[in-house]
Amino acid sequence: MKRLNTILFIFYLFSLVSVQAGELPAGIIKPKPFPAPELHVSDIDGIPLEKSEYQGKWLFIHFWASWCGPCRREVPAIEKMWSEMKKEGLALAFINTAEDEDTIFSFLSVYGPGLRAFMDKDGLATEQWKPRGLPATYLVDPDGIVRYQALGGRDWHSPAYLKFLRNLVKSQ
Amino acid sequence: MKLKPLPPFLLLAQLLFSQAIADTRATFENEQIKVRVTTNAPQPISAFYEGRGFQKNMINVLKQQCFVSVFIRNKSDDFIWLDLSQWQFHHVDGKIKRLDRHYWKERWKQMNIPMAHQSTFRWTLLPEELDFYPKEKEGGNIILPRSGKPFNIMARFDTGKNRSGKPILVRFENITCKVDK
Repeated sequence: MKRLNTILFIFYLFSLVSVQAGELPAGIIKPKPFPAPELHVSDIDGIPLEKSEYQGKWLFIHFWASWCGPCRREVPAIEKMWSEMKKEGLALAFINTAEDEDTIFSFLSVYGPGLRAFMDKDGLATEQWKPRGLPATYLVDPDGIVRYQALGGRDWHSPAYLKFLRNLVKSQ
Repeated sequence: MKLKPLPPFLLLAQLLFSQAIADTRATFENEQIKVRVTTNAPQPISAFYEGRGFQKNMINVLKQQCFVSVFIRNKSDDFIWLDLSQWQFHHVDGKIKRLDRHYWKERWKQMNIPMAHQSTFRWTLLPEELDFYPKEKEGGNIILPRSGKPFNIMARFDTGKNRSGKPILVRFENITCKVDK
């Protein structure tokens, strides 16, 4: 009986792992976890992103630039996702890489008017995160550890991604 | 239905046309990887960087180079490694030295280029090294000194999580750098 329980327990653990892995939507990878680099960025109005805005929450960090084609396609999906997920407890750091206020303002008025953009003026904050390319998205757990990363642009407002984000938020 | 053979002048035209296309762009594809290279003329390169607000002296330097845009897609279910130190570029006079990130960092430093523009510029380059996850795709530019001579590219991609799989060797021949019309 003891042996059967052990086998069942191992099977349970194995199924947990495979369910988790199977739940990852396309293009989401689980890198070796690492502590999230510090974020020192301010929005277009010069208001800094405060730690208190995301501490203890899952944080969706997105780096983008107006000249990047996949960013243009992805930003509207992020805006829609954010309009739902902010009520559910997800935090967002939407960070432009090395562009000026005017460029960001005109881009967002078309592609994401509901998003508050932070500016990485010299691009150095972005590079600290060592993105694979632009756009780049990271998901940081409530303890400040980077757990997931997206490969390229993703349709964040589609059911698979919303479900994935909701599961993260519920687990916090 | 029996197909009629093409008249000789059409055959010749078709051959010349294929050659012209192969000169400034080329694609390699097998079951593991797709690699596309396209060279760019100075005018669109200038237009892109002008649009990003780059200063004239920076654009003048960039206009003199040969920009090779590279697109890579990992079609396999395994890791594929991009490592530009394993790529070689040759033309009739021998090896071509790629102008890498280190070169540009020093050049921009000497020219006092703003950090923001240096950062944007870096983002347009192909990463020096990247482990392509299954199905991942990325692209960027490789910059060579513009010589006007056709060149060959030999690229090696390691495979497998620990880079211990059979490498993929890709060769592009007779590539020319596009010129303004």
